[in-house]
Amino acid sequence: MSTNQIKVDALVVGGGISGMQTALDLGDQGYKVAVVERKSSIGGKMIDLSKVFPTLDCCSCITTPKMSATAHHDNITLLTYSEIESINRDGNGFKVQATKKPRYVREDDCTGCRSCELVCPLEVSEDEHEFGRTSHRVVYVPFSTAVPQKALVDLDHCLFCGKCIQACPSDAIDFTQQPEPVEIETRSIVLATGFETTPINAKKEYGAGKLRNVISGMMMERLLAPTGPYGRVLRPSDGKMPASIAYVQCAGSRDQTLGVPYCSRVCCMYAIKQAMLLSGALPLAEITIYYMDIRTFGKGYEQFYQNAKAMGVEFLKGKVARITEDENQNPIVRVELIDEFGKTRVTERQHDLVVLSVGLLPGGNPQPKFGVPVGEDGFVQVPDYNVFPAVTSQPGIFVTGAAAGPMDIVDSIMMAGAAASSAASYLEAGNGSRKEAQRQPERSVEYA
Amino acid sequence: MPEEIVNTQAQNPKEDEPRIGVYVCNCGGNIGDVVKCEHVARTLERLPNVVVSRDNMFMCSDPGQKMIADDIKEKGVNRVVIGACSIFLHEQTFRRTLERAGLNPYLYYHIGLREQVSWVHHGTPKEATEKSIRMMAAGIAKARNMKPLEPVRLPAHRQALVIGGGVAGLRSALDLARRGLKVTLVEKSHYLGGHMAQWERVFPTNEEARPLLKRLIDQVLAEPNITIHTGAEVIGAKGYVGNYNVTIRQTPRGVRETFPNEQEAIDVCPIKRRKRFDFGLSTSKAIYRTYTGCVPESLVIDWETCTKCGECVKVAPEGMINLDEEAQEFTVDVGAVVLATGFQPYEPFYGEMGWKEFPEVITLPQLHRLLDDEGPTQGKFWWNGHPVKNVAIIHCVGSRQVEGVHRAQPDGNVNNYCSRVCCTASLSMASLIRQKAPDAKIYEVFEDIRAYGRGHEDYYTRASKNNVTFLRYFAEEIPEVRRADEKAEHPLLVKVRDHLTWGEEIEIPVDLVVLSVGMMPNPVQDLMEIFKVTPGSDRFLLEVHPKLRPVETAVNGVVLAGTAQGPMNIQESCAAASAAASKVSALIEQAKVELEPYVARVDPDKCQGSGECVKVCPQEEAIELKTFSENGNTFQRAVVTPANCNGCGVCVSACPNRAIDVQGWRLDEYEAMVSAIAADIPAWEGAA
Amino acid sequence: MTTETPQKGKILLLATLSGGYRGADMVGQGHMDYPPNTYILPVMSSAIFPPKFYIDAFEKGFDAITVMYSGTDSPYKGESEKTAEIINETYEKMKELNLDLRRLRLAAICTVCVRPFLEEVQRAESLLEEIGPLPRPLAKQGVAANVN
Ligand SMILES: Cc1cc2nc3c(=O)[nH]c(=O)nc-3n(C[C@H](O)[C@H](O)[C@H](O)COP(=O)(O)OP(=O)(O)OC[C@H]3O[C@@H](n4cnc5c(N)ncnc54)[C@H](O)[C@@H]3O)c2cc1C
Ligand SMILES: Cc1cc2nc3c(=O)[nH]c(=O)nc-3n(C[C@H](O)[C@H](O)[C@H](O)COP(=O)(O)OP(=O)(O)OC[C@H]3O[C@@H](n4cnc5c(N)ncnc54)[C@H](O)[C@@H]3O)c2cc1C
Ligand code: SF4
Ligand code: SF4
Repeated sequence: MSTNQIKVDALVVGGGISGMQTALDLGDQGYKVAVVERKSSIGGKMIDLSKVFPTLDCCSCITTPKMSATAHHDNITLLTYSEIESINRDGNGFKVQATKKPRYVREDDCTGCRSCELVCPLEVSEDEHEFGRTSHRVVYVPFSTAVPQKALVDLDHCLFCGKCIQACPSDAIDFTQQPEPVEIETRSIVLATGFETTPINAKKEYGAGKLRNVISGMMMERLLAPTGPYGRVLRPSDGKMPASIAYVQCAGSRDQTLGVPYCSRVCCMYAIKQAMLLSGALPLAEITIYYMDIRTFGKGYEQFYQNAKAMGVEFLKGKVARITEDENQNPIVRVELIDEFGKTRVTERQHDLVVLSVGLLPGGNPQPKFGVPVGEDGFVQVPDYNVFPAVTSQPGIFVTGAAAGPMDIVDSIMMAGAAASSAASYLEAGNGSRKEAQRQPERSVEYA
Repeated sequence: MPEEIVNTQAQNPKEDEPRIGVYVCNCGGNIGDVVKCEHVARTLERLPNVVVSRDNMFMCSDPGQKMIADDIKEKGVNRVVIGACSIFLHEQTFRRTLERAGLNPYLYYHIGLREQVSWVHHGTPKEATEKSIRMMAAGIAKARNMKPLEPVRLPAHRQALVIGGGVAGLRSALDLARRGLKVTLVEKSHYLGGHMAQWERVFPTNEEARPLLKRLIDQVLAEPNITIHTGAEVIGAKGYVGNYNVTIRQTPRGVRETFPNEQEAIDVCPIKRRKRFDFGLSTSKAIYRTYTGCVPESLVIDWETCTKCGECVKVAPEGMINLDEEAQEFTVDVGAVVLATGFQPYEPFYGEMGWKEFPEVITLPQLHRLLDDEGPTQGKFWWNGHPVKNVAIIHCVGSRQVEGVHRAQPDGNVNNYCSRVCCTASLSMASLIRQKAPDAKIYEVFEDIRAYGRGHEDYYTRASKNNVTFLRYFAEEIPEVRRADEKAEHPLLVKVRDHLTWGEEIEIPVDLVVLSVGMMPNPVQDLMEIFKVTPGSDRFLLEVHPKLRPVETAVNGVVLAGTAQGPMNIQESCAAASAAASKVSALIEQAKVELEPYVARVDPDKCQGSGECVKVCPQEEAIELKTFSENGNTFQRAVVTPANCNGCGVCVSACPNRAIDVQGWRLDEYEAMVSAIAADIPAWEGAA
Repeated sequence: MTTETPQKGKILLLATLSGGYRGADMVGQGHMDYPPNTYILPVMSSAIFPPKFYIDAFEKGFDAITVMYSGTDSPYKGESEKTAEIINETYEKMKELNLDLRRLRLAAICTVCVRPFLEEVQRAESLLEEIGPLPRPLAKQGVAANVN
């Protein structure tokens, strides 16, 4: 195949919102860009969310057009389901070895018609996208808005019955596919590898993941999403509509015992957002948020918080010490409360469902492959943090989005613009292509 | 009886018969929870010229867009009507879809079913569904009449104007210049760097602010593409994206360059003024230097207080100081404008927590100056000639205000937003105070501690370790600052109901109260008028959409950078500034811009040369009468110059022969839309 | 006087894309409710409509029309003056047809005018409650009125 060699100005690693925006901003400026995404669709974490603060836009409405624009941009080459293997500096640029993992479906031929899905006899219940709460066939298109809309086969579960091969109208299924090496020659790299969330079992005081009705913020996003597993909010243990829901803030952030001393920056806002969405979906439910500090610092965020208060969401300042459950699997939250009158008391409150506002952890360590050091917090180190927030210590390598520390979508998109701009500056300086004709003869500072 | 919707199609010649594709978006429930989208689609199917009518969960997603593209290719759809979210969100998205499918992107019409139907008619799903049908029918009626349009293509200046020389403006200018564009940077004050220059240090790196700033300024100065004008303001602008002609007014500095005996010139000046750079904590002469190492470095004269006595001129080298220099006005041609006009600290009103009532009440910006080695006390933590032993820093002054509790600004609104930087800025100052005064009692009186960013939480933890006492209050119960007894050791008392202990009312005796004041936008009413940009309800300049187009304003070619848009710290300001540079580069880098084709167009067959249009047109050289001759007859017809026409349409209604229309928004389209809304809906059986 | 059952009637809102139309979006973003007999059409400039357009709209089935223009915030020089001029001309025509002049209104609504937008809608709704929809065709009503 001839696509195995790609030559670009910039390689963006990670196809989340920040990576896509960086690619678009660079592409719009006329640079050739390749985006390498390890998953089978671009979109990142954002595609899993329900509606997004602070505008309460439906998340798909923001993400999917950007996914589509990225995929269709003349200057952008998309490599999904691919891994970066190694990176070598080569003169002014980099030689990058990547592998396209086999989908067992020829991307060029698949039209995403899902005929294969219909005939596949086996359900696999683990769908990373739905947090194990729904299932997909062995051969499947990742999700309804995936980009690319191409099927892939989960070979580990395949029965090799061959039904899909027969059903596919465009003969796209190919069990002989092998990993395909791709060589990318690029002049710059942008890391947009994003984040992971604190695992639900990280904190033993909070049930270590064993309490069925204690879920993570991300799971709640799925429950609230229109594309989610049940289409409505039900609690996992018995499918009951929860009448009382509690949020435990900083569950996995600002917590020395977990080695995560920093604030994850998005969880206050997403908890408030979910609380608002829940009061729409379950008008009778009582919603409580246990917090240490409410950090609604962004543009319009404080107003968002005040709206939630006005809607009747209960905000209680206090640190949740422990979560247990009663015989009906109702979670019981033990909390050191500071009430309206300022009285502190330890109390136990029973809820139907508890959501842990889990924090953000780095999406991976770029040091081994990219030679880019990370800070104490594990996120990519940025030497001139204040003034050049997207520039790493490796010349030609930039960073954007949650790879550079927890940040929300607004900030990730802003950072993407910054990463694109810094990369463009670097590209222009690098090969002296800056148009001499543009230079001005005058003094650059006029002391009037 | 209202007329039927059907008959408009007769106007279209057969070969170009409209084949309309209709798409109703569910918007992940945002629309579909109220409007029965499927029903809407099924009903519209029956309208004339509608070839396909579909509903979909997310029209804007790739599969949604593909559906449209496929219909264009396979079903011969040649007009597209979409009912979805706001037109401002995805108009461009869908235009590109059409373009990719080979259809003229203007053969598409968008109906806002979310913001203007489902989100405002929650309680009446049946009526909302009916309204959606009528609105979509209007779109279909318009679509029948739509014609392909071409954007107006114009050359653009590969040059940008950056207004504001704070860290955001500097960073934007640098990125633009490095991208190969020429930049004119206009700074109102006589030095670069904005507020950052005033801080003793900056979180989260604890770097000294001015050396850090100087490194950035040096990079800016090294760029031959950047021309900087300090002491300058934009006073007018003509034109549009790609082609702005901007008038700048520059007040003279009064001093040509640095000279050896500057101190002498300063010493002889008889005038003392409050030094704004120190937020009024110190004074300087009318001839002064803002700070050591500022750029430009030379002295500057404060024309507000200078009496032109000429003493300084006498001691300075010949021609070095010119008191009679006049302000200059000049123009620049630019393709795009970056607004980086920054913020101003909130100014408490008299008596607000003791402000101005007691001299021992200062603001956080003043504290920065106080602790600065170059500040009024050379960095000693002294006040009124005494070391400060007890200090209270009160958070959220002028931020997170509550209507009815706090006094409103002149526009009637309280500042209900969080200023984002003051918490960490306060904590970082607490840690500096601890260094300078190891025994001082430090109180942080706060609502929530918002140490959200990378490295911010460390300040919080450190403060706790440093024996900083935290007291929590609620916005409804503002701390009170009052004078202590005369004999008391500390002159002020801060009364707080502390919600971290037992809700007790606590009175803390202090020597100094620091108000952690928030941010307000720099007042730029004039620039808003000049560039037609709008503020949000928080008075900061408004972006189109925080996620889709976070640095662009509603005016094409005018973008935002830094705290002019909302509270941000330096890192965020720089990211935003850099993002703004990205947008500007993409816009004008190719030396051309494309404008919407929404300009006046004359139908030469209908025009009788009455000239009414020329009379009413408010634009210069947008429309004129030209003489034509045909078969020996000479006659006059109106002719439009698209680049100068802004599509205001004043001529449309003025034309006695209805010969003019604004392309894309034609009168006959509106007439068809009005008819369609009013018409009976075919086969409407009422939604369940 | 109309004694017909006050079937609610239709309200046409012509809203400028630089003003009222964004204001209406803002109202939507705030999820604030108003009655659904309101039909908002976006206009680039409110100055393009001649008086006949408004009269025709009344004839076709609208019972109240509010032009939500950008007023002094208009991006178009001359738009607001011209619009006001046309509305006044239209009033003359409406008088001839004996139409209640309150059925046509010009209101400056800006991009963040949430409250004013809702007030305008409310005003039109109350008006229709008071005077009811228009009997059509209009000309006849005019004649009838003259006879009275
Ligand atoms: C529960 C929850 C709710 C939230 N709600 C909101 C909200 O309402 N509003 C809001 O503004 N923000 C919200 N956020 C934050 C939001 O999710 C992030 O700001 C955003 O997703 C960050 O985008 P990103 O592109 O930086 O990272 P990601 O979305 O994590 O994308 C990174 C991408 O890179 C890929 N990748 C990683 N490593 C590699 C590699 N080595 N090679 C190739 N590809 C790789 C990943 O597969 C992924 O696709 C929420 C977060 C959580 C956890
Ligand atoms: C007390 C305090 C402490 C802070 N400490 C920190 C910190 O430690 N770390 C941190 O990251 N952030 C800190 N910040 C935030 C930081 O100051 C801002 O993020 C940053 O200064 C914003 O830069 P800017 O360029 O947007 O605005 P500004 O610094 O306000 O610059 C705007 C510039 O535009 C000019 N201007 C205004 N109007 C016009 C006009 N009409 N024409 C021409 N020019 C004009 C002004 O003169 C000014 O030079 C602090 C803020 C405060 C209030
Ligand atoms: S954003 Fe809120 S919940 Fe999340 S870590 Fe920070 S303070 Fe805790
Ligand atoms: S940052 Fe802190 S002090 Fe500033 S307004 Fe927000 S909560 Fe108040």
